[in-house]
Amino acid sequence: MKKKLFVLALIAAMTCMMFASCGGGGEGASDETGKVYYLNFKPEQDEQWQTLAAEYTEETGVPVTVVTAASGEYETTLMSEMGKDEAPTLFQVNGPVGLANWKDSCYDLAGTDVYGQLTSDAYALKDGDKVDGIAYVIESYGIITNKALLEKAGYTVDDIKSFDDLKKVAEDITARSDELGFSAFTSAGMDGSSDWRFKTHLANLPIYFEYQDDGIESTDAIKGTYLDNYKAIWDLYINNSTCDPKELANKTGDDARNEFTSGEAVFYQNGSWEWGGVVGDGLLAEDDVTMIPIYIGAGDEASQGLCTGTENYWCVNSNASEADIQATLDFMNWCVTSKEGTEAMANDMGFTIPFKAAVESNNGFVKQDIANTDAGLTPVSWNFTTMPSEEWKNGVGEALTAYAADQTDANWDAVKAAFVDGWATEYALANEG
Amino acid sequence: MDKALKKYAPIFVIPTTAAFIIGFVIPFIEGLYLSFCRFTTVSNAKWVGFDNFKYALTDADFRQSFVFTVSFAVVSIILINVGGLGLALLLTRKLRGTNIFRTIFFMPNLIGGIVLGYIWQILINCILSNAGKPLLALNSTAGYWGLIILMCWQQIGYMMIIYIAGLQNVPDDILEAAAIDGASPVKTFFRVKLPMIMPSITICVFLTLTNSFKLFDQNLALTAGAPKHSTEMLALNIYNTFYARAGMQWKGYGQSKAVIFCILVIVISMIQLRATRSREVQA
Amino acid sequence: MKKKTRFTDHIWVVLLSILAVAYLYPIFMILINSLKKERAIGTSNIFSLPTSETFAGFTNYINALGAQGFAKSLGYSVLITITAVAAILVCCSMCAWYITRVRNKFTSALYYLFVFSMVVPFQMVMFTLSQTADSLDLNKPWNIWVIYLGFGAGLAVFMFAGFMKSIPLEIEEASMIDGCNPIQTFFLVVFPILKPTLVSVGILEAMWVWNDYLLPVLVLDIKKYKTIPMLIQYFRGSYGKVEMGPMMASIMMTIIPIIIVYLLGQKQIIKGVAAGAVKG
Repeated sequence: MKKKLFVLALIAAMTCMMFASCGGGGEGASDETGKVYYLNFKPEQDEQWQTLAAEYTEETGVPVTVVTAASGEYETTLMSEMGKDEAPTLFQVNGPVGLANWKDSCYDLAGTDVYGQLTSDAYALKDGDKVDGIAYVIESYGIITNKALLEKAGYTVDDIKSFDDLKKVAEDITARSDELGFSAFTSAGMDGSSDWRFKTHLANLPIYFEYQDDGIESTDAIKGTYLDNYKAIWDLYINNSTCDPKELANKTGDDARNEFTSGEAVFYQNGSWEWGGVVGDGLLAEDDVTMIPIYIGAGDEASQGLCTGTENYWCVNSNASEADIQATLDFMNWCVTSKEGTEAMANDMGFTIPFKAAVESNNGFVKQDIANTDAGLTPVSWNFTTMPSEEWKNGVGEALTAYAADQTDANWDAVKAAFVDGWATEYALANEG
Repeated sequence: MDKALKKYAPIFVIPTTAAFIIGFVIPFIEGLYLSFCRFTTVSNAKWVGFDNFKYALTDADFRQSFVFTVSFAVVSIILINVGGLGLALLLTRKLRGTNIFRTIFFMPNLIGGIVLGYIWQILINCILSNAGKPLLALNSTAGYWGLIILMCWQQIGYMMIIYIAGLQNVPDDILEAAAIDGASPVKTFFRVKLPMIMPSITICVFLTLTNSFKLFDQNLALTAGAPKHSTEMLALNIYNTFYARAGMQWKGYGQSKAVIFCILVIVISMIQLRATRSREVQA
Repeated sequence: MKKKTRFTDHIWVVLLSILAVAYLYPIFMILINSLKKERAIGTSNIFSLPTSETFAGFTNYINALGAQGFAKSLGYSVLITITAVAAILVCCSMCAWYITRVRNKFTSALYYLFVFSMVVPFQMVMFTLSQTADSLDLNKPWNIWVIYLGFGAGLAVFMFAGFMKSIPLEIEEASMIDGCNPIQTFFLVVFPILKPTLVSVGILEAMWVWNDYLLPVLVLDIKKYKTIPMLIQYFRGSYGKVEMGPMMASIMMTIIPIIIVYLLGQKQIIKGVAAGAVKG
C-alpha cells in the first residue's frame, strides 16, 4: 500500500516539474505572412481544390493546405484537428445544427469582403448580427436519368410527372429487364460511401413535406407524416434495381456510378456534384442525361422541382492567429471574385456559387434546375440540415439497410422508430446543454 | 559500482523518463482530471464532478459494448489458447515439415489489425453473400464470429510459439520416467506436461485477455460496430464517443468511459495474474 | 507400436497441411483480386480467379503507387518504425540497466510505473496524448519516436530489466575496475550480452509501431503525413468511393515487405517472440 502512495506522490511531483519547465514555451510564434488550412468537406472536389490552392499559392505566395476528410468522417477529423495547434483556419459546417457545436470557434464574417460578395443574406448563417458562416455552393439533387435508355424502353422524361408515373415506368422496365438488358435503378448502396444518398438526401423529402404542412423550419420531434411515401420510394428503388436488395449493405457509391455510366440502369439518385462523374470522355453524352425531381407522391407534384439548397457553409476559425485569419479571408475572397477562382468553381467543380462575380456553370444539372425554376417549378429545400445528429442518420441508414435485406413490416417499424423516436432522443441529447 | 553509476544517472535515465512523462504520465494524469470535466481542449476544461461517470454508467451502448467485449473475450481466449496449445503439441512431435507449419501459422501475426480487418471483411462478406445471408453491416452474429475467427487466425500462431517454448522446457527424463511408469499419452499430458507449462499458460492467457479487451483496429476495420453499435467493443465505443459525436459534453463522457475501461482492464489483469500464478509449479 | 505412431503422424501432417493452406488462403485471395480489373471485384465473386477478360495485370499496383501517395507513406512508415525502435532499444535498455543496478525508492517506483503503463489501454490517454504531442510539436514522422519511446517504454524496460537480473554483476564490475566508465561498460560489455533480448524487444516493438493505426492518426500532422495503415483506412472512405483494385494492391504491397522480412529472419523472430514472452 505504501508503495502505491509513493508512486502517486511521485507522479504528482513529476507532473509539476514538467508543467513548470514547459510553461512559457510554445505559445505565440505566429508568423506575419499568415497561411490557410482548409479542411474540405466535399471529397468529389478534392483534386480541384488542390489545384486551385496551388494556383493561389503560386500567385500570392501564401501557403494554402487543403485536406479532405474521408467520406463520412468530416466531424471526426474536424474534431481532432481543431484541438491542435495548427488547426484548420477554414472549415465547414452543414447548417444550423452543425453550427451549434462550433459557434464559439467561428470568426464574425460581418463586414468582410467575402461576405459583401454574397448575393443574398439568405445564404449566410447568422446568430443575431454575427455572421458565423456563408454558403459557398448551391446544389441540386434528384434522379439522374439516362434519356437514351429511357427511350429504348419506350418512354421519355415527359412521361414522368409524378410518383405513380415513376413507379409505372420503373416496374415496366423491371418486367422487361431481360429483354431490354438494363434495370430501372442503380444499386442503392448502403456502404458508407453511398448511404447518405438515402439516409440523408432521400429522407429530406418526407421531412420537407411535413415541415410544409406544419409551416415550420425545424422541429424537436418529427411526426413522420410522410413515412409511408418514404417507404414507397425506397421499395421502388431497391426492388427495381441492378442487384439483390440483400447485397445493398456492401454496395458503394462507385458501384452505382459505374452501373449508371455503363448503361446498366436508367435512374440514379444523386446530385449536381456528380456531373463530372457521369458525363465526359468514355462516359455518357451530355445530351443523354438529365435530372428529374424525386417524386414520392406527396404535395403538389405538378409543380415540384429538384431538391436545391446547401449544406456547405464556410466558417473561419476565430482561434487562428490574426495573420492566418486575414490570409484565409483573402483566399476566400479570391476564390469567389477572381477569374481563376470563379471559373474553377463553376467549371472544374461544377458549382453554382451564391456570389456576385459567379460565372455561369457548365454543369447540365445546374442548368436543368435553373430551367425548372424558370418554368415555374418550386425547388424542394434542403431540410436535412435540421436532422439532429450524425447518429440519427446512421440509425435510419442501418434500419433502411436491414429492411432492404428483409422486407418485413417489423423491419419497417424499425425504420419508423429510428426516424421518429430517434429524432426525439437525439434532439434531446444534442441540445441538452 | 552504484556510486559510479549514479553520477551518470542523467544519461541513463533521463531520456526514457522524459519521453515516458510526455508520452504517458502527463496524458494519464490529465486524462484522469478531464474525466471530471466538460471540455473540448485541455485548456477549456470546466469541473463537473461525477456527471460524466453518471452518464457513462447509464449509457446503454456502453453497457452493450461491455457485454459484447466480455463475451468476445471469453470465447476467443478459450479458442486461441486451446488452438495454440494443440498446434504446439503437434509441432513438438517432430513431424515432417514442422518448420514450414510453424512459419505459416505464425505469419498472420505480423500483419496489422487494420489490414487484417479488411481482408476478413471482404472474405466473410463474400461467403455470406454466396450463402444468401445478410452481410456484415447487418449481421451482428456474423460480426461476432467474424471477429473471433479473425483473432484466432491472428493470434493462435503467436500463442503456439510460446507454448512450443514451454513444452521444450519440459525435461526429457521426466517424460521418459512417465513412459516407463506406463502413463498413457493423455495422462502424461494432464499430469506431467500441463503443470510444467503453467507459466506459458499464464502468459498466453494474460496476453489474449488484454488483447481481447483492448481490441480496436480489427474491430474498426471489420465491422466498425455495425449494425447499430451491436458489435462495438469498449475501445471503439470510447473512440466513437470521443470523435464521432459533436458537442461539448461528449468528450467528458468519453474520457470518463476511458477511465472506467482503464480500471476494468487493470483489475481484470491483476485478478487473472494472481489466479494463474498461484497454480504454477516451480520447475 | 512404432508403425502405428507413424501412421497417425501421417494423418496429422495431412491435417496440418490442410490447415496451413486455409491459413494462407486469405492472403492468396487478396493477391488474386489485386490482379483483377476494378469492375470484376464484387462482393460475391471474390473467390473467382481472374479470367483473360478480367485480368488487369499490374494496373492496380501502378494506380496505387501513383495516385495515392503509397510510396511516400511507405517511406514515413519505415522512418517512424526505424527511429522509434532504435530509440526504444537504446534508451530503454540503458534505463533498465540503471534501474536494476541502482536500487533505491526512486528506481523501484519508476519500475512499477513502467509496469503499470503496460496495462493501461491507449483510449485512456489518446486525447490528452495527442494534445500534448501537438503542443510540443512532436507530430512529425521524424520526431514522433519520442511519443513511441514514452508509450512503449513500459514493455521494453520490463523485458530488459527481467533479463538483466540474470546477468552476473562480476563481469560489469571487472570492466569498471579496468577503468571503463559506466557508459563504456554498458555499451562494450552489457549491450553485447543483451543481444537476444534486444532482438526480442526490437521485433515486438517493430510489429507494434509498423502496424499502429490510432496513435499516428491522432498524433501525426495529417495535413502532410500518412502512414501505411492510415492510407489503407483512407482508401476505404475517401473520395466518396472505395477503389477496390488499388486497395487490394496496397494491401498486398503492405504485406509483401513484412513477409519477406519475416522469411529472411524467421528463426530470429520466432525465437525472439518466444524468449520475450517467457521472460515477461
